[in-house]
Amino acid sequence: MSSGFDFLGSTAGFSIAFSIIPYEAGDSYLWVYLVGITNTLLLSFLAIVATTMLGFFVGIMRLSKNWMVAQLASWYVEILRNTPLLLQILFWYLAVFAILPRPKNSVDILSLELFQLNNRGFYFPAPVPGDLFWLTMVTLLISVIVAYGIAIWAKRRQNATGVRFPAFWTGVGIIIGFPMLMFLITGSPLQWDIPVLKGFNFAGGSSVPPAFLAVFIALVIYHACFIAEMVRAGILSVSHGQTEASYSLGLKPGLTLRLVIIPQAMRAIVPPLISNWMNVVKNSSLAIAVGFPDLVAVFMQTSLNQSGHAIEIVAMVMFFYMTVSLTISGALNYYNKLVQLKER
Amino acid sequence: MTNLDASSSEVVFHPKPSLPPPPNTVGAIGWARKNLFSSPLNAFLTILSLYVIWVVVSNAFEWAVVNAVWEANSRRECLDKVGLSGACWAGVSHWMKNFIYGRYPDEEVWRVNLGFGTLILWMLPFWLPRVTSKIAIGASAILISPFLLGYLFAGGEKGLFLQVMISIAITSFIFSWAHTLLSMATGKSLWAAIVQASGFSAKPEATHKYPVFAACLVVFAVAFAWQSSWDISGQSTNLWGGLFVTLVISGIGIAVSLPAGIVLALGRRSKMPVIRVFCVSFIELFRSVPLITVLFMAVTMVPLFLPEAINPVKIVQAIIAVCIFSSAYMAETVRGGLQAIPKGQYEAAQALGLSYWKMMTLIVMPQALKLMIPNIVGSFIGLLKDTTLVSIVGLYDLLLMLKAVSQNPQWNGIHTEPLVFGAALYFVLCFVMSKYSQHLERTLGAGQAGR
Repeated sequence: MSSGFDFLGSTAGFSIAFSIIPYEAGDSYLWVYLVGITNTLLLSFLAIVATTMLGFFVGIMRLSKNWMVAQLASWYVEILRNTPLLLQILFWYLAVFAILPRPKNSVDILSLELFQLNNRGFYFPAPVPGDLFWLTMVTLLISVIVAYGIAIWAKRRQNATGVRFPAFWTGVGIIIGFPMLMFLITGSPLQWDIPVLKGFNFAGGSSVPPAFLAVFIALVIYHACFIAEMVRAGILSVSHGQTEASYSLGLKPGLTLRLVIIPQAMRAIVPPLISNWMNVVKNSSLAIAVGFPDLVAVFMQTSLNQSGHAIEIVAMVMFFYMTVSLTISGALNYYNKLVQLKER
Repeated sequence: MTNLDASSSEVVFHPKPSLPPPPNTVGAIGWARKNLFSSPLNAFLTILSLYVIWVVVSNAFEWAVVNAVWEANSRRECLDKVGLSGACWAGVSHWMKNFIYGRYPDEEVWRVNLGFGTLILWMLPFWLPRVTSKIAIGASAILISPFLLGYLFAGGEKGLFLQVMISIAITSFIFSWAHTLLSMATGKSLWAAIVQASGFSAKPEATHKYPVFAACLVVFAVAFAWQSSWDISGQSTNLWGGLFVTLVISGIGIAVSLPAGIVLALGRRSKMPVIRVFCVSFIELFRSVPLITVLFMAVTMVPLFLPEAINPVKIVQAIIAVCIFSSAYMAETVRGGLQAIPKGQYEAAQALGLSYWKMMTLIVMPQALKLMIPNIVGSFIGLLKDTTLVSIVGLYDLLLMLKAVSQNPQWNGIHTEPLVFGAALYFVLCFVMSKYSQHLERTLGAGQAGR
């Protein structure tokens, strides 16, 4: 048995079905590691964003005063969280995406001829930045910094004088307005590469394989149940007296929700939300079951079987997941510390 | 008119009877007005939800019941009858035996049934009222029964150690049921009954254990003689599969992870640095990586550390991985419970002069575990769902068995029906567990009502 990390430089002779950084069969094992990491990160990042949105939506649905809506949401949660995630992934992959039509008869989502779904994957337009597009991006960056500065200034002024300044809407205006202006001045240097049917498959645009879609949808639908429960528990944990006190101070329902209820609910929601996000990252490793090349699939399975460096590879994969977990929990624990109740 | 003379004793105030509430606020109509149609937006949402429910339920019903094929010999036959518009349950029922027992030989299936039947019977006293020493019965079921069940499932040659353990298992099973029946009937414990029957009750209390030991020995000897005549054929673990393997793996996982989690949680709060560092790093390492990586680690690394003569069995590697992983999670759950116990409880226990272990087992742990029942059962449910991952390393658990149907030439390509069936099965198992935990929480939390 050979050991050491020398094998990372040698050629990995296999191909990978999907990668967001360019990969060819002749690249090294180290590059395979990076391909796996980027694939895992892409999948988990998109899944985290979508899960959080769906979870908040379902959680608020469960608290609806409308009995039917609340029941609908509670059955969604009960049924999906009591079924294994892996089974759901296989279901989406084998029973839904595997029976999609061939490229020739693609499902044209929204009938715009932009988004195509078929048994090879999901095709969507890809942005092609022109020569001067970087100017727009720079403007965007500067606008964000300016808007942030205005928000700090507005808060300071309000603390000092009590005069309010609509910092949020000003910020939104700056962040959208200036880059848009620059974009138009430079002559709209961005084009869309639209997928078109050529021969047996679509050409152009970007695409993700069905395996990606299956894992993504299953992850989102499954984890949204847990987030929904956290959101519900968080909102219920704010005592009703807070709402009443806020009304009696003359705050309108919208402001009560924004300034009184949600900030307090976030204290109860954020800690479990952190661990749920970490679970999404960890569970994205189930992609291996349907053949999406995430880190575990390309590195811990294929590379390990080929090179035989079990200990090094296991250590590297575990190192990656630990780093991600610690980063997520570190960042969110910091946020958590900011919003927690400050008691004497 | 009413007599208004104050001196008269007939002045009585007769309140008018209350009017009934307005008819549109009571009964089904009132409920619907309040909960479904309180505003135009709510009415719209209600109708929208009803439409969603109607679409989902009617389509599912049509597919699963109305258009379904229940009897067929191949998927081709199903497709010829209804195409894809209806479910082909014939495929599921043809494979039902495999879903439950894997590839265990038909004529040996009684062993699996007997094993699980014994286990259920063993645990049954736990739910019976009036039975005392439930903890001892539960502990014997968790610690000793695996030897008996393992032998039943695997069979083959048994060494002296296994023979002794099997006999102990039989003995403790007999004793716990004798005790259960006795205490159900008379309310007395078996211990007291043996002491009384042997005539030792008049003697000093320290000698009371001798007749009980003697009775144990006698039963043990009989059990040993009885089991030595057993001869059941060996069944390779490659043949195990389906729900059977899922339950074996998750059962062992549950039985190991709770005590291991308690030990790890205590270790994490220990004042001894070596123990604490070990526990913290164990928990943090295995909690921050996915179960798949732990499974792969077990499959690829366990053989590296074992002598070459020992060829590890895949199911054992998977069980090791599941146990490691779930212990780390359970440790954090238990830690949460330990942290919720007020410091005064520890101090009071120490003031009573209890040792560390007495304090933990008598004062702290019972309270912590009671507080954490929902989370502990939540971990168990998670564990049951997570056992599906062993299919990725090629173990024929329920999920892989469900998937394997479609590779059979006769049922080629049948995916939806087995997966739906499996989902329903997992749902029932998990749902029952979570409802039971809520029930447990209510009954055990009775003393804390109103908090």
